[in-house]
Amino acid sequence: MSGLTEVAKQKIRDLLPCYPSKQALTLPALHIAQEEARCVTREAVREIADILELSPAQIHDTLSFYGFFKDEKHPLGENRIWVCRSLACMLRGGDELLAEVCDRLHVSPGQTTKDGKATIELAECLGACDGAPCILVNDKLQLRMTADAVVSLAEGRA
Amino acid sequence: MPTVFINDIEIEVGPKENLVQAAERAGVEIPHYCWHHDLSVVASCRMCLVEVGEKKPDGTISMIPKLVPACQTPAKPNTVVLTNSDKVKKAQAQTLEFLLLNHPLDCSICDQAGECYLQDYTYKFGKAHSRLNEPKVQRVDKYHIGEQIALFTDRCVMCTRCVRFTREISGTSELQVTNRGSVEEIDIFPGEPCNNKLAGNVVDLCPVGALCSKDFLYKKRVWWLKTQNSVCQNCSTGCSIHVDQEDNRLYRIRPRENELAQGSFMCDEGRFGWKYVESESRLFGPRVGKSQVASQHYVAQPYAVSAGDTSHAHSNGASGSVANGTAVSHAQVALNELATVDPWPTALNATRLAIKSVVDSGADRFAVVLSPMMFCEEAFMLAKYIKSLNKKITLAMGPVPVVAEDDVYPKGPKGEPPAAGKEKFTIRAEKCPNRLGVEAVLKHFQGEVIGFNTIAERLNAKKFDGMYLVGGYPDAWLDESVLNKLSGLSTLIVQDILNSPLTDMATIVLASGTFAERQGTVVNHSGLAQEVIQSIRSAPDVRPDGRLLFELSQRQGMYNAASIRIEMAKEVPAFAVFANAIGELGIQLFTIVEGKSA
Amino acid sequence: MSFEPVLLKRWGKPNSQALETYQADGGYSALKKALAMEPPKVIEAVQKSGLRGRGGAGFSTGLKWTFLPKDVQGPIYLCINGDESEPGTFNNRVLLEEDPHQVLEGIVISGYATKSTTAYLYLRYEYGDCYRACEKAIKEMYANNLLGKNILGSGYSLDIYLHRGACAYICGEETGLIESLEGKRAWPRIKPPFPAIEGAFRRPTVVNNIETMACVTQILDRGPEWFQSIGIPSENPKDPGSYGPKLYCISGHVNKPGLVELPLGITARELIDKHAGGVWKGRKAKAVVPGGISMGFLSAEELDTKLDFAGPGKAGCLGLGTAAVIVIDHQTSMVDVLYNTCRFFAHESCGQCTPCREGTAWSAKILARIRAGQGTLKDLDTLTDISNSIGIMPGTTICGLADGAAWPIKNALKKFRPEFEEYITSGRRSQSLEVAGSH
Repeated sequence: MSGLTEVAKQKIRDLLPCYPSKQALTLPALHIAQEEARCVTREAVREIADILELSPAQIHDTLSFYGFFKDEKHPLGENRIWVCRSLACMLRGGDELLAEVCDRLHVSPGQTTKDGKATIELAECLGACDGAPCILVNDKLQLRMTADAVVSLAEGRA
Repeated sequence: MPTVFINDIEIEVGPKENLVQAAERAGVEIPHYCWHHDLSVVASCRMCLVEVGEKKPDGTISMIPKLVPACQTPAKPNTVVLTNSDKVKKAQAQTLEFLLLNHPLDCSICDQAGECYLQDYTYKFGKAHSRLNEPKVQRVDKYHIGEQIALFTDRCVMCTRCVRFTREISGTSELQVTNRGSVEEIDIFPGEPCNNKLAGNVVDLCPVGALCSKDFLYKKRVWWLKTQNSVCQNCSTGCSIHVDQEDNRLYRIRPRENELAQGSFMCDEGRFGWKYVESESRLFGPRVGKSQVASQHYVAQPYAVSAGDTSHAHSNGASGSVANGTAVSHAQVALNELATVDPWPTALNATRLAIKSVVDSGADRFAVVLSPMMFCEEAFMLAKYIKSLNKKITLAMGPVPVVAEDDVYPKGPKGEPPAAGKEKFTIRAEKCPNRLGVEAVLKHFQGEVIGFNTIAERLNAKKFDGMYLVGGYPDAWLDESVLNKLSGLSTLIVQDILNSPLTDMATIVLASGTFAERQGTVVNHSGLAQEVIQSIRSAPDVRPDGRLLFELSQRQGMYNAASIRIEMAKEVPAFAVFANAIGELGIQLFTIVEGKSA
Repeated sequence: MSFEPVLLKRWGKPNSQALETYQADGGYSALKKALAMEPPKVIEAVQKSGLRGRGGAGFSTGLKWTFLPKDVQGPIYLCINGDESEPGTFNNRVLLEEDPHQVLEGIVISGYATKSTTAYLYLRYEYGDCYRACEKAIKEMYANNLLGKNILGSGYSLDIYLHRGACAYICGEETGLIESLEGKRAWPRIKPPFPAIEGAFRRPTVVNNIETMACVTQILDRGPEWFQSIGIPSENPKDPGSYGPKLYCISGHVNKPGLVELPLGITARELIDKHAGGVWKGRKAKAVVPGGISMGFLSAEELDTKLDFAGPGKAGCLGLGTAAVIVIDHQTSMVDVLYNTCRFFAHESCGQCTPCREGTAWSAKILARIRAGQGTLKDLDTLTDISNSIGIMPGTTICGLADGAAWPIKNALKKFRPEFEEYITSGRRSQSLEVAGSH
């Protein structure tokens, strides 16, 4: 798998003046990498490490802590849909929503649908408990969800 | 000095000590995993929890209600520490139960068993059973984590000492923690194993059986090992080490903490660089007279040989021409038969005669080349003996092996050495343990240090008829051009450990010992003299250098390094401090001002 | 007595995110007032108001600022904690989505008061709309000399950088946040040194919550006396009181989940009945989470507990936390509820300290087994032991996550023990569906 594009590398370098240490760019750089390639490839980790003057293991240490970044074997689908399972959503059917969505899309949490349109994830509290059960589509919250609504989002119909 | 109270024991503490250290000096063990005095404090294993309080001037004591980690708590004046209260004991037992929840309890097949802090602390501070009624977390072992190290992932207690070592001491940062929470593990970045030259230290640092040395793995139960203090011979840093042996066989070398020498660690070149001790090319006994067939020498694995069992040793031929014991040359058999009890009196007598015959025809035509692999006592005995024969005999220094430049840690992100003052470990370019000590001997007896280049030049100019060369290097140490010149000498006495083209052409070969078989003193780069204690016995017909030279110089009694040092202290001003005992940590012999940073 | 929202007063107004409307509503007048004062006077005003941090710990904001060393050479950092992740909590999301300038104004004021040179707004990744609203607002501020060099001619300069998280609860712990900001795994730091002395990038640092920043804006605008006039006054010299308006999040089994701004000290019952339309489906509340799940549970008998900083503690809860109230109706199994909280903390434990790493995971496993009908009464003792042995309070962990994991267990097993015992002895299995996750 390939590494970062020159555009992505430049985006990372552009952030250098914002922080007093290069290591602080780790998270921003990983976001840039994943936004570009729908995953963070090993090569991208090496390149980020090179720009930030760290070892690839140090970047990967941080990367793996969050459970947010995908490796090249598991790239994200076109949309990433997080279904909340924490208490406020669970009380209003979050678990059932996730179960039905997974069933209808034939995926387990963390997997991408066969057509590559959506990756379904389980989430801890998304901060939209006023609209439980809620989901996060990429980085946009959607409140008061039904399985129909999530499935149509996943299938790219909404 | 401030005073603290550990379980009612009053003890003075140093300014930078934490409660673990203070307690240790009070004779109280505070169990800990993550804390290590050479690494940053993370206080995460929570094994060292204690109760603390303060003794007020009026004598009353007020205790903090919650437990604190002893490793993170400085020993401030009048601190009161309880390490054995019910509260502390409960926390210790609970932490151990947590640590063992997902541990496989596979002590019976674990290399660490016997020196494992999970075992020791569970015995001392834990409880006998776990309440876990769930499946354990399954983890995959990682044999690929390094060339020399394997990770038994499920035994790990996540103390992160290894990760911190690679970030803070080696600076190479190959190790990382992956994932989060109860599924986190130690790992490498795929394809970039932990192969830095200090990597072996993570095995020592690992308090449990997670990181194991592949070299030592499944070789020996540690409780059978006997340990001797020694000094690494690999470079002039002179790391203090432990040599672990059993039944005359060396199993592993570990760093021995010594702030005067290297600190707490050692490099892998030293750690694994002792294999020549049991090389198949070891010289097995003395030989007088030219070898009749090249490479047919007394050769053996000294370890396969128990005293008196020489027939077995002979079957270990060094070259293809020696298929079994019957191929040993007639000369050797003859010598061996003569010396069924001990071939050495004959060999040493021949040596003395050989030296005499050259010296008689011109003492300046004979040279003795000492080796920087020699111990001080050995160099002294040989030099003193030679000069007693004739002052005109040349004493010189053998080749001083230097490889590239000093290798200084922690490395920066691009592998660059640290800034001045930030050095934590140095692997030195000078690959011998005792240049300084041997030079001091030479300066005293010869008045100067004649380098080996000068000897080679004089050889070229055919200024010598005979030479006595001391080797002891772990591998071949003379190149072909020098060998060619040496072949012209009428007398070539070689005192060495390994069979080589040099020993092939020698007229007398004196099979000597490696550091593990010898006793004596080496002086490191900074002038620190440390004692090497003999760990194993040589093969029956190999003579450790100290005894060999003691007998060559026809001294009375038995070789004893300490008494030679007393003699040296009296006769050689440079060694005056040898009048004192050296101690386990060594003694400063000279003060060295180095051009480069230490 | 009706209470007029202050922090939320612009919520729902057209184009409320824009600088133009914010200024039309009197925005940035507080900043001008602050810049006309000496920084110590600003700290004094905030201290006088009695403002306590809104992020969960409730530490006095003004006092925290005074912990910075005097005469610092070099940078001081202000980190704004927008990693709101405590289950049930969404007040900061609404503030940033609806009225980012109110928060950003508070950041500049706080930066000025603490002489900070750079502010980092650490925002959880999930809040994409907040991110975009802040990004736009910050651009407007730079364009109008409200940020950058020599703000409004005061001589004070500040940059604010947005820093996005990556979905980890522990980044809300202030030193976890700092580590995450520095690009490391968010393992909370041992203290001392506290961030005021050695925080972000090993420099003096203040970490404050988003809602706290909005409060700072209002305190400077309306005066500390105004703030002091709201809420529950100090009960004794050791109690710093509960002053000012508070954003209460209400979710779970109520008819009208949502966010309301009320004076600190409203009771849980009033909040549910008057401001959330009561418990849904005509049911009764069995348990109520007073301030995010780490605070534990109030039982139905404890609903008159005042939700101020001291109230929930009196009922055996950990504290007010984030004032995020989750209502659990009487038809819900507390076994399912407790399993959910334990699973959450096992998932979010950073894994640094042994007791939390192992204890949270173990408790979740035990509850999963109880839910599968395989529990024993002994498990309840084990759970109690685990909950008593993890956390800052017994001293066994570095940060408070484990206390938050322990409290729901302690409260549930104390207040609802018969239900757990009945569940186990009857051999019941959970009716709730749960999909096994990849992590």
